[in-house]
Amino acid sequence: MYDLIIIGAGPGGYEAAIHAGRKGKKTLLFERESIGGTCLNVGCIPTKTLLRSAHVFSLVREAGKYGVSAGNATLQMAQVQERKNKIVSALGKGIEASLKKAGVEILRAHAKLANRGKVEADGKTYEAANILIATGARPALPPVPGIESAMASTAALKLAEVPASIAIIGGGVIGLEFADFFAQAGSKVTVVEMLPSIAPMLDTDMGKRLLSALKRKGIEFHLSAKVTRVEAGALHFTDEKGVAQTINATKVLNATGRKPVVNDLGLEAAGVEFSGKGIVTSDEGRTNVPGIWACGDVTGRLLLAHAATREGLVAVENMFGGTQRIRYDAIPSVVYTDPEVASCGKTEEQLLKEGVPFRKALVPMGVAGRFLVEHEGQAGTLKVLVGKEHGEILGVHILGGPAGELIFGAAIMMENEMRGKDLFEIVFPHPTISEALKEAILHAE
Amino acid sequence: MAAPILMPQQGNTVEECLLVAWKKKKGETVQSGEVLAEIETDKATFELESPAAGTLLETFFKEGELVPVLTAIGVIGAPGEAVDSFRPVPGKKTASKKETPANIEKAVSKAGNAESRSAEAPAGGSGISLSPRALRYLKKHAVPLDRVQGSGASGRIIERDVKRAYEAASRVSPLAADFMAQGFRAPETGSGPAGLILAENLRKPGKQLSGIRATIASRMRASLLSTAQYTVSARADATTLVALRKELKARALEITINDLVIFATAATLKGFPELNAELIDNTLYLYDDIHLGFACDTPKGLLVPVIKKCQTLSLTEQAKETRRLAEKAQKGGLTPDEMTGGTFTVSNLGAYGVTSFTPVLNAPQVALLGVCAITPEPVRKDGQVTFIDTIGFSLTADHQAVDGAVAARFLQALSGNIAQIRSLTGPNI
Repeated sequence: MYDLIIIGAGPGGYEAAIHAGRKGKKTLLFERESIGGTCLNVGCIPTKTLLRSAHVFSLVREAGKYGVSAGNATLQMAQVQERKNKIVSALGKGIEASLKKAGVEILRAHAKLANRGKVEADGKTYEAANILIATGARPALPPVPGIESAMASTAALKLAEVPASIAIIGGGVIGLEFADFFAQAGSKVTVVEMLPSIAPMLDTDMGKRLLSALKRKGIEFHLSAKVTRVEAGALHFTDEKGVAQTINATKVLNATGRKPVVNDLGLEAAGVEFSGKGIVTSDEGRTNVPGIWACGDVTGRLLLAHAATREGLVAVENMFGGTQRIRYDAIPSVVYTDPEVASCGKTEEQLLKEGVPFRKALVPMGVAGRFLVEHEGQAGTLKVLVGKEHGEILGVHILGGPAGELIFGAAIMMENEMRGKDLFEIVFPHPTISEALKEAILHAE
Repeated sequence: MAAPILMPQQGNTVEECLLVAWKKKKGETVQSGEVLAEIETDKATFELESPAAGTLLETFFKEGELVPVLTAIGVIGAPGEAVDSFRPVPGKKTASKKETPANIEKAVSKAGNAESRSAEAPAGGSGISLSPRALRYLKKHAVPLDRVQGSGASGRIIERDVKRAYEAASRVSPLAADFMAQGFRAPETGSGPAGLILAENLRKPGKQLSGIRATIASRMRASLLSTAQYTVSARADATTLVALRKELKARALEITINDLVIFATAATLKGFPELNAELIDNTLYLYDDIHLGFACDTPKGLLVPVIKKCQTLSLTEQAKETRRLAEKAQKGGLTPDEMTGGTFTVSNLGAYGVTSFTPVLNAPQVALLGVCAITPEPVRKDGQVTFIDTIGFSLTADHQAVDGAVAARFLQALSGNIAQIRSLTGPNI
């Protein structure tokens, strides 16, 4: 009898397992593929590793701008892959060590729910007071003829050489990050997106700026376009005017999104409420069945690694007597393109739609000296939305510079419901790009 | 030579200081410069040294009292010397000894404090006593005072206490604090990080009861506090009642079931003088006249107009008077006279289908009749079960004056009168 059985060892499951283990709870963690889940093995970490290499490549090519002569730069894909694998492997070992240290038992098997409080794997039954489902998501296959001939992100991460050209279906976060990587690596990149804008969750001001920055890099975009057929080396679609077009490309990448892994888990038998969009959970991580919890992509809520982690920790706290809940409003998200885009809270469009009165500030990142020093000539903008009456921070959107490294500040302010003016009393170091964030918030205030 | 010990002036703005503790007792000898007492202003605590060597002949203030500056708090001199000439004139210079509850409320609301600070604690007058420094701290920090144990002299709350309470209490987000300054109320802990109280955890400011609602509230509270009320219920055969009402309606006479019930009630009350009474200060006042109040649901709230000398009215007269009063109650315009002087009350919830309830006495009246809905009930007749219309009654009485058996007998008599309603009204209505 375990205190907790977790199915899935991604950032939701393994962090929850370590947390429970450290609490002294008898914890069993099932994983049928690799420890670390999508994030570590085929998601966040490998893509960021590739993007880093591409970014260094770009930097070297621009070295002259900084007075540095670097000769003819080349990108060695084999070495890029090697470096990626090394980092993934090192991090994976780190996670396993942490799990071990926390006393978590790990079983490499496909597990599914059996009767109440029971999990089946490899013909054996395991019992637990609590079960946390953290099975994640996998790439979605849209109903397009020939879609199976396109690569999924997993395959794209393993390419041994940079394709001469690539057509990407989907202008969401995954599609854009791959587009940026391949463009910097030297591919001719075309993105075909069904919606009229890229990365639709972004604030429009940020989305537009990102789109033009990526276009400047030579990436071609077809928005409001509907893919009609995929074949090896070609992508057929109708453009926004309804005209049929074909892109010939060395590779076609399917980046149309991800869908929760809910099949073959015994959810029906256990009576857990779910749909194709995921397992239904409360802000405390509960499913409709007492003792069964869920976190991460499988809930279909945010599809972000850090959201999964937080959901897992909250679920663990609550199953052992805590009263935590997730404040979804203050979960930041980052698009790791160059320029990077980070946001936390509501977009202007959401506030308008919800009828929330607000004030806004749109400030160029160049107000911070360090941005000019390090990112001269690059896109950089901050947008801050605060409540009209009280000046509480409702949304922070950052494009350019170390956006992803700054956004936590916004999350802290939002979780603590600080008002813009409360920032007067906080000192930001000079010269740093973070000064631009302070400037933008005070400007909105 | 005897000399007064004066409360020193600590800066220009300090008008009074708190005498925290005497360090010497009356009759003790002291050296010049020896510590006599501990004093606290709103800025600091300091020791009051003896201005001379001698005996502490008298102390004029107790620990925990606020003393205006430059007032004598005691006398030092040789044993036997007279001290009365130094005694401060009471009420003239001496400041109020304690912070008034109103002051405390003000201090606390400035700090944007939590719901726990609501009316009851300070208003209870249990003497929340705050040191000036504690008060000063409260102006900047929200502290739930009713959870603070004073550790000063005689339980006085001093700065240390409020500081500790503040540090132990949940914090409030800056946004939530903004709302709390507008009167929003906070729970004990919030849903933010480490229990931070967020704006979404707050409850809207309450609305103080006013006008008729406030009057009803205080009357009802007083009723429950001053009486030993209980309710007995019964159902009466309403076959005749329903038939009669139908008949009256057919004749276009504006007489309702309620009118018939009031008529029967007044008739029944004649036989139960102990229910047509008021209990005031342990004295039971029985009344010859039945001034029958009836509860009216009006847009402004519950009103109870009174049908004067109800027992003298014919059914038609009584129905007419009831209608007149009810219309006035709805429109507003009942005179005070029309709403006072009742000796018994009827409250009818039958129209809403209520089958039984526990009406609250219109104290100091000792009884109130609740009238319930007419519903079919099964009865056994000639070995068969048939359904008849019945009407429910819930009589609340004050056990101080009326025993249960009396209340029960009244209901029994009333039920009989309802069943035989035609014999009360007579054939010619």
